[in-house]
Amino acid sequence: MSLLRLEKATIRFGGLVAVNEVSFDIRKGELFGLIGPNGAGKTTCFNLVTGMYKPTSGRILFEDRDIAGLPVARIVRLGIARTFQNIRLFGSLSALDNVVVAAHLHRRANLIDALLGDPRSMADTERLREEAMGYLRALDLGDVAHAQSRDLPYGKQRRLEIARALATQPKLLLLDEPAAGMNPAEKEDLADTVRRLRDEFGKTLLLIEHDMRFVMGLCERIVVLDHGEKISEGPPEHVRNDPKVIEAYLGEAV
Amino acid sequence: MHKAVPIRAASIVLGLLGCWGLDLLCRAFLRDSEQRLVVLAGLYVTLAVSLNLINGIAGQFSIGHAAFYQIGAYTAGYLAFFFYLQSPLQGVGWLLAMLALGMATAALAGLVVGLPSLRLRGDYLAIVTLGFGEIIRIVVQAIDLTTPAGEQVGGALGMSVEPRIRIVGLVWLFALAAIAVSRNLCKSSHGLALLSIREDEIASAAMGVQVAKMKVAAFMIGSAFAGGAGVLLAHSESFISPSMFPMDLSFIVLTMVVLRGSGAITGSVVAALTLFYVPEYLRGLKAADGTALTVTGATLVGWILAVIAAVVAVRWIAYQYRGPRKTRLAGYAATFFGALLVGRALGWAFSFFPALSGASYEVQKLRMVIFAASLIIIMLLRPEGVLGRHEFSWDWLARALRIRRPREAVG
Amino acid sequence: MAHAAGLSLLASLDFGTLPSQVVNGVLNGAIYALIALGYTMVYGVLRLINFAHGEVYMLGAYTALFVSWAYGFRPDVPPDQLPESTLLTLLVMMLASMAVCAGVGVVIERFAYRPMRNQARISSLITAIGVSLLLQYGGGLFLPQNPPPTMNERVNPYRQTLELTLVRAPQELTTAVENARQLAQRSEAAFQERLKLEKDRFNLSPEGERLRDAKFEAERQLREAESRRNTAQVTVRVGAGRLAILVASLALMFLLRQLVLFTPTGRAMRAVSQDFDSAALMGVNVDRIVTITFVIGSALAGAGAMMTATFLGTSISPYYGVLPGVKAFVAAVLGGIGNIPGAVLGGILMGVAETLVIWAGYSQFADAVAFVVLIVVLLFRPGGLLGSSAVEKV
Repeated sequence: MSLLRLEKATIRFGGLVAVNEVSFDIRKGELFGLIGPNGAGKTTCFNLVTGMYKPTSGRILFEDRDIAGLPVARIVRLGIARTFQNIRLFGSLSALDNVVVAAHLHRRANLIDALLGDPRSMADTERLREEAMGYLRALDLGDVAHAQSRDLPYGKQRRLEIARALATQPKLLLLDEPAAGMNPAEKEDLADTVRRLRDEFGKTLLLIEHDMRFVMGLCERIVVLDHGEKISEGPPEHVRNDPKVIEAYLGEAV
Repeated sequence: MHKAVPIRAASIVLGLLGCWGLDLLCRAFLRDSEQRLVVLAGLYVTLAVSLNLINGIAGQFSIGHAAFYQIGAYTAGYLAFFFYLQSPLQGVGWLLAMLALGMATAALAGLVVGLPSLRLRGDYLAIVTLGFGEIIRIVVQAIDLTTPAGEQVGGALGMSVEPRIRIVGLVWLFALAAIAVSRNLCKSSHGLALLSIREDEIASAAMGVQVAKMKVAAFMIGSAFAGGAGVLLAHSESFISPSMFPMDLSFIVLTMVVLRGSGAITGSVVAALTLFYVPEYLRGLKAADGTALTVTGATLVGWILAVIAAVVAVRWIAYQYRGPRKTRLAGYAATFFGALLVGRALGWAFSFFPALSGASYEVQKLRMVIFAASLIIIMLLRPEGVLGRHEFSWDWLARALRIRRPREAVG
Repeated sequence: MAHAAGLSLLASLDFGTLPSQVVNGVLNGAIYALIALGYTMVYGVLRLINFAHGEVYMLGAYTALFVSWAYGFRPDVPPDQLPESTLLTLLVMMLASMAVCAGVGVVIERFAYRPMRNQARISSLITAIGVSLLLQYGGGLFLPQNPPPTMNERVNPYRQTLELTLVRAPQELTTAVENARQLAQRSEAAFQERLKLEKDRFNLSPEGERLRDAKFEAERQLREAESRRNTAQVTVRVGAGRLAILVASLALMFLLRQLVLFTPTGRAMRAVSQDFDSAALMGVNVDRIVTITFVIGSALAGAGAMMTATFLGTSISPYYGVLPGVKAFVAAVLGGIGNIPGAVLGGILMGVAETLVIWAGYSQFADAVAFVVLIVVLLFRPGGLLGSSAVEKV
């Protein structure tokens, strides 16, 4: 069953066609990769799916429901969460509070209760806090829960972004260049984490990556974008040997 | 039952008792004009805490807070003028009803101002809030109704608000309510959601926070408390006029919020009290024979130079000097006493210049200059706010009093 | 009802004066534009709302006043002993104002804003508010203000009113006025003749009464003919001093444009306003550029202050800069803050809007108009008229 389906999704910025009639299909439980050279339109694709941009034309179906142009927060509620390429944590909040904000989506008490300091609201917040702590532990961040997130080392910040996205309890998790700037050992760790997200947490994952080796070793299916258009799709072996892909990446080892 | 419930109940009882006690004390020991100051201080605290909600917690840059204060005050003023005589509610009952109505009106205004915040960021929002404040003031000034009986209401000269109800305890109870609401919010995940909007709006939306709703809510809650303060002001002073709500008032409240440091609520309260009482203290200064206290030009120039030198020295110690902490503290102390000494000495030296020793200035008139100068100096010396990170809580009090062992370091 | 109210509102407006009002609005706007340039340039370079700018403007007005006193235009000099003012006097006053303001601007930047540069922006904003209050209240302590001094009107050598007829009335209306005037003169003469024969001026004979009524009737007809002609023709009346403001403002703005677009300093300024840190890394001496920005912005405010004080005859006080400052800032935001042509456009729009509201008879709301226009514009163009509202990149 397809979880997310793009049908000829297109977005123009003035004269520039950033994403041109891109279609693909992600099945439930898949590890799906989105790759391409710089400026190919990968992040723009993410922004379309998460509602940051509204497509000029085409449809974006999530569980057979057109979500194109819905408000960002609404799409998160439907079950799509993301991380950011340029880490966007809530810098002055602690790691734990970062995750609580995301878990806040599933609170029971409303704002009035919170203002009045209703015991239910306090209990609710405590429940969210414990839940958030669980996500932090799952991503090996339990020891830094109370550190200010802007003080964390880079690799931990990246993982905290994943923990935060996870706390919204998404069905589909979008990771935007999660391995950027990591050394080989950290990347290996990350690959394990991503697999665990799928196997233990049952998430479907769509990830953008620059590092071909990382993607090829991790993803089951891959879509290649170049200049806003899909130029190839299939399992890693297929993509690796596609002459169009080789041309697009000319000069880079594929 | 939740474990925090007894503490909560105790806090409420303590708050009520405290306000009642304060009220009794004020009635017993303070003259009317002094009670008025206590009332005003409570109102300032409410204003600072409520602006902190919009500005500090939700991160929406609002510099027109006086508008909501004014809206509350005028709601009370007009309603009292037209309906008080026919009203079944009298006295305190009327005041409480007005409090609710004033809060509602101001919250509506907060909604109106909050809506642009969905499209505007930072400085653009700031100028819109400033503009809103000015529009309210000018419109209130322009409306002067004449009743069939020929009485003038409102307009540039203001209006009197009958009856005069000045209850110190109630004002401070209201301030405590504002503090409690802020604090509850900060302790809840809703508060974290607001903080996340301040930190990064886009990421916040991407985590499912309903940014628009939360921002508008912050504006409405903050302005409701300012409006309530306005109602209390109107009935306590028994007179309101547009000149009581100038732009400067918004700026001063904003300053209270900025000076608070990151220990948001406690800081707002302390900053509000300080910024309110220091100018009032200077206003009340009198020479020994009861006349207005004056200083000569020589003293004034001497002190100005000494303060500038002290600021330079403190900044040097704080930012350039790399020595041990003890030397640094000693340096601060030395600067302080040095400045006192130098100020005296320079004042004496300058008194030999007839031009300087001849001119004399009243301290009363100096007070706003001192206020403005201290603002700049505080910002130059401690831009992160005076109080740093300390937030008041029962835990903190207990720790400070060594009743309980310090909480273990986490992790 | 609403329709009728609208009609009566329209009827109460005097469309004959509209063109003059628009022109005067543009002239007032030129002053706002000069002050707004200071706000916008500083904002462009430092992203700081320089709240003290209005106070710099106030100091400029006082400087101009003191220079005029030095020239002998003191308030205690009797009118027949006042010296003659010339263009040179005005130039000296303007240069002095500009110099003093530039100096004050640089001092403020160096000692209040520069130490705050790496701090949170709200801290610099509070510092700016502090400086603004300090100058206001400090001015209240040291500057003459009781009674609020006014520039002697003789300082302005251009006191005549210029008239320019844009659309002439049709010939028959002009002739009608001419005829009516002759008739009025004749009947006046006849009445005066008769008056000499009358015994009691307050108790006229029937013949005298007839001539008097004829005279009144002729005068009424003359007024009617004139008013018909005036509605049909469009005349602009402008004080020569105000025109001088416009000319000087345009000259200053043109100089600024040349400076920003065609000099190395201007290029560095644009670079700094694009990206402060990168410009510093590229070897631009940012401190120097910031100083120059403050010099230029404050000097423009000084020029504006000197001109309003001299040509518009407003009384000067330590709070002289508050309202113009806020409005000019609004003008800068209206045009798109950080954008130099935007500040000029915003200032002029503001001036026209305000004048029109006063013309329509709502002078008590004139100060609020600026903000209403601002809020409406920002709701539709969040970055201001000429500003870009770039979407944040994700």
